Parts: sequence; C-alpha cells; structure tokens
Amino acid sequence: MTTSRRQFFGQAAAVSAGVALSAPAAEALANGAAPDAPGLVEVAFKVNGERQKLSLDPRVTLLDALRERLGLVGTKKGCDRGQCGACTVHVDDRRVLSCLTLTATLQGKEVTTIEGIAHGDELHPVQRAFIDHDGFQCGFCTSGQIMSAVKVVEEREVRTDDQIREAMSGNICRCGAYPNILEAIKQAKES
Amino acid sequence: MIGHDVDRVDGRIKVTGAAPYAADTKIPGVTYGYLVTSTVGRGQITGMDTAAALASPGVLAVYTPFNPLKLFAYVQEQNDERLPPLQDKEIRFFGQAIGFVVAETWEQARDAAGLITTTYQQQPPITEFPGRTLQKFDEVEEVVGAQTLGDITFTASYTTPFQHHCAMEPHATVATWNNDHLTVYTVSQGALLVQRRLSETLGVDPVKIHVLSPHVGGGFGGKWGNWAQVPLACAASRALGRPVKAVLTREQVFAMAGHRPMTRQTISMTCTADGKLTSIVNDGVTSRGLGGNWSESVANWTLTTYASPNIRVTKTIMPLNLGAATVMRAPGEANGSFALESAMDELAEQLGIDPVEMRLRNYATLVPNTGKPWSSKHLDECYRRGAEEFGWSRRAKQVRATVDGDWLVGTGMATATYGASRGQASIKVRLYPNGTASVSGTAADLGTGQYTVFAILAADELGIPVARVRPELGDSTSPAAANAGGSNSTCTNGPAVQVAARSVQTELITLAVTNPRSPFHGKDPASIVYRDGSVSSGGLTMSFGTLLTTCDVGGVEAIGTSPRLVDPEHGYRSFGAHFCEVRVHRLTGEPRVTRWLSVCDAGTIVNTKAARSQIQGAVVMGIGQALLEATEVDASARFTNANLASYLVPVHADVPRIDVRFLDHPDPLVSGLGAKGIGELGIVGVAGAIANAVHHATGVRVRDLPITLDKLLG
Amino acid sequence: MRAFDFATASTVSDALKLARPGSAFLAGGTTLVDLMKLDVMTPDRVIDVNALPLKGIKLRDGALHIGAMERMGDVAAHPVVTSVHPMISRALLLSASGQLRNMASIGGNLMQRTRCDYFRDVTSACNKRLPGSGCPALTGINRGHAILGTSDSCVATHASDVAVAFVALEAQVVLRSSDGDRTVPLEDFYRLPGSTPERENVLGPGELITEVVVPTLSWARHSTYLKIRDRQSYEFALTSVAAAISLKRGVVQDVRLAAGGVGTKPWRLRAVEEALKGGVAMERTFSDAVESAVDGARPLAHNAFKPSLLKRSIVRALLDAAGVR
Repeated sequence: MTTSRRQFFGQAAAVSAGVALSAPAAEALANGAAPDAPGLVEVAFKVNGERQKLSLDPRVTLLDALRERLGLVGTKKGCDRGQCGACTVHVDDRRVLSCLTLTATLQGKEVTTIEGIAHGDELHPVQRAFIDHDGFQCGFCTSGQIMSAVKVVEEREVRTDDQIREAMSGNICRCGAYPNILEAIKQAKES
Repeated sequence: MIGHDVDRVDGRIKVTGAAPYAADTKIPGVTYGYLVTSTVGRGQITGMDTAAALASPGVLAVYTPFNPLKLFAYVQEQNDERLPPLQDKEIRFFGQAIGFVVAETWEQARDAAGLITTTYQQQPPITEFPGRTLQKFDEVEEVVGAQTLGDITFTASYTTPFQHHCAMEPHATVATWNNDHLTVYTVSQGALLVQRRLSETLGVDPVKIHVLSPHVGGGFGGKWGNWAQVPLACAASRALGRPVKAVLTREQVFAMAGHRPMTRQTISMTCTADGKLTSIVNDGVTSRGLGGNWSESVANWTLTTYASPNIRVTKTIMPLNLGAATVMRAPGEANGSFALESAMDELAEQLGIDPVEMRLRNYATLVPNTGKPWSSKHLDECYRRGAEEFGWSRRAKQVRATVDGDWLVGTGMATATYGASRGQASIKVRLYPNGTASVSGTAADLGTGQYTVFAILAADELGIPVARVRPELGDSTSPAAANAGGSNSTCTNGPAVQVAARSVQTELITLAVTNPRSPFHGKDPASIVYRDGSVSSGGLTMSFGTLLTTCDVGGVEAIGTSPRLVDPEHGYRSFGAHFCEVRVHRLTGEPRVTRWLSVCDAGTIVNTKAARSQIQGAVVMGIGQALLEATEVDASARFTNANLASYLVPVHADVPRIDVRFLDHPDPLVSGLGAKGIGELGIVGVAGAIANAVHHATGVRVRDLPITLDKLLG
Repeated sequence: MRAFDFATASTVSDALKLARPGSAFLAGGTTLVDLMKLDVMTPDRVIDVNALPLKGIKLRDGALHIGAMERMGDVAAHPVVTSVHPMISRALLLSASGQLRNMASIGGNLMQRTRCDYFRDVTSACNKRLPGSGCPALTGINRGHAILGTSDSCVATHASDVAVAFVALEAQVVLRSSDGDRTVPLEDFYRLPGSTPERENVLGPGELITEVVVPTLSWARHSTYLKIRDRQSYEFALTSVAAAISLKRGVVQDVRLAAGGVGTKPWRLRAVEEALKGGVAMERTFSDAVESAVDGARPLAHNAFKPSLLKRSIVRALLDAAGVR
C-alpha cells in the first residue's frame, strides 16, 4: 500500500470549493487558462497603526505574517484551524481569527494585535483586569482571550454572566481560567 | 507575604503578549521543519519517495529512515517515546514521525511534506481494549489477602477513555548551534529533562547544551517528555548549519505527544451493615501505547484513600498500537478516584448512608496500606466545612427528587487526595546594587504560578517587596531545581528558595565585613544583622543595594540546596473534598455543572490567588474528563478526533462559578515552609463528584466516562 | 497547503470570469482556508470575493433578502432579522464563535463542508473527498454522523445551523452564472449523497450564491432554534431543531419544523408538521407527533441514540416555540 498525505486520499481538487463557490462540474469552465506560476502578492495594510507592505506567498495567513514576517509574536498559534481562538486579533475593529485569514485579503485593512491595545506603559483596562483577577495561568491563550474580551466589553447586549460566557466561548483556555476571565470582563465592563 | 493574594509577577508580560514562548523565538536565518508522519498504525516502511519534496521550492533537506539524522538511543525513561525518530523503519503507531522536511518557510515545508510518498508493509494494528492481554497482572500490591469479610458486598466496573492534555501551546522547538554548542528554545516541564535527553541522543556533552524554556503554554504532563520535534530540530540544525524551528501541528500533538491511557477498574468492596469497609479489591487495567513504555497504575489510589483491613489492587497492561501513553494531570489518581468515589457513592446509597458520612466512617487516620501515620491530614475538616458551606444537609435523600423547570437537579461530592513529597533542589539568589534580587533555578512555570512563588518566598525571606525580586526559571544553566511535575514544584523548590535567600544574607554580611570600602569593614560578622533588605550594626544601617554600590561590586549571590525529604515513618498527601451541583435536562439529557465548591488541605499556600486559580483550573479539566473528553480510536489505530473541534475540552459556557477554600494548616513535617502540592489535587475526585451528582439528579449511574447525554436519555 | 495563484474580484462578473476548473472563491475563509491547510481542498486559484457588492439585508416583496456576502454576525444582529425571523438570528448565534461569525459569510455558511473527521483527514478514505475510495465512517467512529438521508457511500452530517432554519422557513437561494440568475429552494439546493457524495448541491458550473430570500411568515415569531450538543457552546450540533408554530386557542394551526445534526442535508420534517396540525399544543400531542421524524432513519454503531434524541429535541423545541408546558 502506498500513501502520501496528499496523493492517495487527498486531491479532491477543488471539486466544490470554498465559499459561495463554483460547481463540481468544472469541465464546463474548461476553457480557463492554465494556472499562472504561483507568485508573490503585494499587500499594504496597517498593523497597530503602522503601515506595512509585504510581498508574500499568498498561502501566508495573517497569523503567520504577524509572527514570522512582522515579529509580532504576541498572537499565538494554538490550533491553526479556527478551533481555539488563541490567534484572535481585530481586523477593521472586529475580532477575527488570524489563522483563517489569508494576508493577501487584507489590502487596505487595519489590524490590531495584543501588542497594540495598551497606551504606552498604561495597560488597556481589560489587560489590567486580567491581572487583577488572575484571568490566565500559562498565558498562551491570553492574547486571544484579551482581544476577544476587548470586543465583548464593548458589546452592550452582552450583560449577564451567561451572556459573557457564551460570547467568550470561542476562546479556549485549557488552564481553566474561565471563572477569573469572567470576573475580569465584568470589571472592565464596569469601568 | 506568604498566604496572601499576590498578582502574578509575570502578569504584565503575559497580558501584553511579551512573554516569550518557544515558538516565539526570533533567530535570523531560521528555517522551518515539518514532521512527516505515518499513515498506517503498524508495519514496516518499505520505501519513501522524497524526490518531489526535495524538488519543491525552498526545501533544504528531507530526512527519513532511509536518510536519517543520526540519533542515539534514549537512555533515561521520560514517559515519552521509547525510540528516537527516524532510526528504524518499524511503525508502532499511526502518526509516528517518519520524516522531517526543512525549508526556508513554514508554508514551503508543510507543502513539501505532503509530497512524500511512503510504502508500507502493513500489519493489522492492535486497537482493541481490553482485547488481548499481553502482560497479565504484572503488578500486584496488597495489604492483606483480600477476603470477603463483610455482610454487604458491592462490585462494579468503571471505564475511562483516552484523553489528551491539549495544552494550548503546541510542542515547539527552536534549535541553533554555535560550533559544537547547542542552544535550544523548547517547550518543557524541566530544562534539565531536555538537556539530559538531548545529550543522550545527540551524543553531546550536557554542558554544551543550553536549554531555554522560560514560558510554557501549559503542560499537564504532556511536556514532561521530549517528543520527536525536539531531537529532529536539534539534529537537523546541526546537519544544516542553520537554525531550525519545528512546531507540531495540533493533529500531530494528538498523535505523537502523549495521551492519558484508557482504563478499566473493577472494584469489589465488602462492608459491615453500618458501612465500615472490610475489604476493597480494585483490578485495574490500563492501556500502554506501543510508542512508549509508560502505563497508568490506575487502581493504586485505592490503596491510600479509605481505611480497610484488606485492600488489594492489581494492574494489567494492554499494549496498543498508539503513540506513548504518558502522565496527564494526576496520572492514575484522576481515573482511579472516578471509580472509587463512584463506588463509595453507590455503596453508601445501597446502605442508606449519607455519602459524606460514609467517607467519615471509613476515614483513614493512618495510611491504609502501610499503617503509618500521616504527616498531617485534615480531610475530615474539608468534608465538614465543605458540607456546611455547600448546604449539603439540604440535599434530597432520594434520587431524581429535585426539579427546576425542565432540569433535574442533583448534587454530589467526592474525596480528593494526591501524594506529596519533597525532592532535592538548588536555587541561586543574587542581590544587585540597584536593590533588586534575582532568584533562579531550572524550575518551570507552566502557568502554575511558580515564578510568583519564587518571588514571594525570596521577598519574604529577604524582607523586600515582591516587585524587587526577579525570578528566573527555565534555564538549564541555573542550579538544578525541581521540574514541574508530580505537584512537586513548590514543596521542593520553595524550601530551597528560602535556604538560598538566607544564605545570600550570610554572603552579604561577609562582604560587609571584608570589603575595604564597606562601612562595616573589619567588624565581627556576628555583630551584623540583616533585616528587611538592610544590614545593620551599631547605629549604622545600610540597604544591600547601597552597600553593594558602596563596595563597587556587581552583586553577591548564594546557592542554597534543600535536600530530599527521606521519612520512612510517615505518609504524605494533600487532601480535599469537592461538592457540586449538576443539572440534566429531562428531555434531552445534557448534563451541565452549575455549582462547585472545593475545600483543600494542602499545607501552606504560598500565593492564595494563583493557588485558587490552579484548583479552579483542575476542576475545569475534571469537568472535561467527566462530561466531554474522549479521544476515539478506530480500527486503523488513528485518533479520529485529533483536533480541538472534535475532542471537546470545556469552553467558557461549560464552567460555573468555582469556589475554592484552603484550610490553613501548614504540614509540620514536609518542610519548614509546610507546603504540600496542589497542581494535581484539584482534578482528583472531580469526575466522581460529577458522576455522583448526575446519579442524584437522574437516578442513572454512569460508570463509563465521559457522561454524555446519550447515556442519560434512558 | 498547495501553492495557488491569488486573484481579487470586485464585481460578480469579474468573479465569474476568474473562475475556472480547480479554482475556489474565498469569502470568510473559515471553511476554505481550514481545508486547504489540511490538503482537503487544493484549488490552484483562489478568488477573493470579499469585495463583491453582495451586501444588504432588507424586506422586499414580502420576503427577507440577505446578501450572500453579509457576515453571519451581522445577519444575526440585524434588527430586521431579529424582528422578522428571530429563528435565523438564534440559529446563527448558536453557531461557531463570535470571531468566526464575524468572518464567515452567509453564502459561505451554506457552502460549508461536513465536519466528518474522515473527510477532514486526507490519510483516510472518503467517498466525498475522493470518490470511490470508501467510507470509513460506516464502520468507524460515527457518533456525530447522520441517520437520515444517508447512503452506503456517505453518512456525513450537514454542518450548518442557519441552513436548518432557512429550510424550515422555505428560504430560496439566488444563484448567478454567466447565463443569469436562477432561484432554487434551499431544501432542493442540497443533494442527498446517494452514490455521488462529492456532489453536495445543484450549483452549476461557474455559479455563485448571490442572495438568500426568506419569505416572511407572520406567525414565525413564535419560533425557536434549539441546538443540542455535548459542549454548551462552540460545537456542532448532535441534533438541532428549527421550529415555528402558530396557535389558535391552544390548537396548532400551522407549524414548520426542520432538523440539523441528523441529516446529510438540512432535514425538513413535513410528516411531523402534518401530524401536529389541529392538535392541542401540549407535550403529549408533541410526543405523539414526532414518531415519524425518524422514518427511514439508519442509525450507526455510535449514533443509535440520535433517533431518540431527535424526537426529544423536537418536543422540547415545540414546547419552547409554543410557550407551553
């Protein structure tokens, strides 16, 4: 038996590609050109207020661009599959998962990471609250928890403990700091 | 300072994203390694076609068993893989490392790894549990030959599935060489564990291996061992002359970086009509992954928990074609307590005795399997205080008797205990002219709060604010301190910090009387007093910072060693009691934990703030163990749900308020500090308490974890 | 992830022109990027459609129109949606996480792939991913798999929550190709796996979902979306039920029911609807009516509980929607 990760069972090709996609019966598009040689793409966007211009492999996710290209390693790779929330950042002021965001799609966007929310030495109120309430242990999910929490704090319709828990459920903390994170968010909401 | 709420000293760098974890290491010219893993569960590799991968853009090297990086056999048992990767062609488990691609970028390495084609001579993997018994009853421990002496008998079997640690940080290693010196940034529960392993397998003198692991994104046992990415990154870096960074994918972490084994326990108990146990037999069965050696002594918790004149436990090991089973938070105890705490509840119900009362009637005032006294034990106080605070007396006597709307409500409780011990540790404390102190040892902080423990204990001993102490952990060049495992860090390292902080005061006084620039020069050292960061003699008081500045020295330091505790006369354990409320929907059966109280007797608690969090976190993991977590293996021997969407760990919405109380009873024998351990205590008994509460709510007894809704639909 | 060339489309016609065999449209990326990393999807061209003007949520001609590029979170929070069809909002809010809902588009949600772990693991056989290779889920680990609409080729569960609500509400999708627009009921948009599980829907070559149209239903405010899962949040459904009910003096006048987590596509429960009509809205009525929900169900080794759970879930959802106990 011969297997490679891709050649034996892989290659569904793009029979029913991603989102709002074209159909399986791809032969009807057969007049399409042969694939261009995959090249680099140019992307200009802002990270924490600074302009960045990258020329990169289109496969590079925002998470990997931040960590491996821009040296912003505060954003963490916990699963790389959109299943843990550790990589949460803000794009155009919304919390999103940087591991599932291709950097190439960010032309003209504004990205904020954990490195960009404090004002100099003055911590963001959510950061302060996480320290006050011991809202972390190992710290690996913490950047994502805080970036998520910053937005949850702003969401007025999220008020009760259960609503906060639900709103934060996309951020897994294996150390189990959840009760303290809840308290931290409540403190930040009050301030 | 000791015994109060102190903010974590590493808090600021953790909330700003500045704390460096292994994969965060920035090294110019770094290359990226990606592991290739087996796609069968058992057999021999007959060929690997790497041509396409080698021709792929950016690829620097492809290592396989046909073109291996030389690694010497492992010598020290570290509860991880038996054999170093790529040195043989045998496939022991699905997802075993069989290749290592190094490329200029992560994307290139990942893509090239997918282009490698492997041919196998396959054999059917062993996946059945209990299945074939290959090693029958290879460990038996008994107090007295177990006999059925009581009036009442009870027998039941309890099973637990494979579980995974799922630390949020995947295993990562960054290696770089400078001539024949290796610097390695890696995940680890102890830098010396890495140094030792790398020395063995690379054939390099340990003094030439510098391991740095300052921050670790959770371990829970899964980072005690050194998994395949560690030697591969280091060996490839040496071969290529380039730094190499290797990070396991989440799927690879599941397959190759350890798991909690599957277990079955068959408990038989006899007791008198008033509930006094007369015998306990626990026949434990544990899986062992053929990738490793380790297995779980699942029944052993039964040896030390309840008084009984006859206790017998056995252990049967089932080797399976899986990666190494390894230690995972409270190995043995987490699963062992589920069975015994469920069984105690069942027996109590059979007898019509309250579960708390049942435990008090069988209270072990001496260590049950040795008859020795305890160093200290206040478990009875945990039960009573917990019962009172929780409102246990209001508990309905009947099962399925409390309903709130559509939810069946039940409460349950269980005992927690975990072994305590004190190993040898050395710690260095250094005082600086700027009035600060550093305290260093090879210990690790996996999120446990060990940094803060070091700072508190040093600050307390030196009489200076915590903020002026800089703890330094996770560096193999520091004095040898306890690794983070076995709930051993604070009880072992804590006394050593105290010794070192006292020793450095002696060094400071020696400097004061011997350094010609010192205003204390020439005085009798016995006339000098160190207090609150200053030395005094006669009318003169000078802070150590000023003294060091005056003397124009860079600092004074001392290494303090706290020896291993050897006490054959006593038994040492931490204790606790859990109380919880569970709700189960009457129609759809989903169980939800809605209230929690844990009362712990773990000796001196150095930092109540982080300690409370650690118990809470262990309870959360226990909620996962009880209700959610199970890694499934199919006939192909793969973990089919090897990802964080299919392997369910608790999320925010699963976790209620968790109240934690610590009894303030320093252990008089474990050390002068009196601290036992709490890292694992918190998970012990959690699954039992929840199973008992589910039974109280529904009348359904689930003896097979996790307790999912399908088992409660009736 | 394989190398691909990256293109950005700013109009629908641009997007359709850029499409070719082996290309994929990229919206939120929460399915596509994930599956590309796993080599499950290997497009050689990725066309970024995030800039397409397929936005807008409005009531028009007695129907709720939702642009395909609206994000799940925006749809869930939109006042028109919450007032006209709260069931849609609820289904969305019980899906994924806040972050994912900020990313994923409605069109993309309808195109999301199954969560079958064998489908997602390219070292495993899978008829959906590689036709003819086999289905290990039939005899493997199948607790989360479907019991309705399955075949000997595939038992993969359809993963979308909001599609279940849409099917209950008889939503239609507008599809655009170079030949123009056509409208298809969402229920008919999805195909049963049969012997061709790789063909999941009726999208033609070069077709793109541009809009979802949901008829308004005045009584559908009495509705719920119930999702049952092991974890309280951030998990796909074991069962889910979209229920809307119209009562007159305690008697069921009309009802809509669809189920998720149990079918190879969102599963409309017409027979149960019929059995409920004219009955007194009470638990006994509901319990009696749900038997037909599992007609034709084919439970597997690990999901044998699903028929029972589905029936119980329907009863619970009906009680919630009807507001009776």
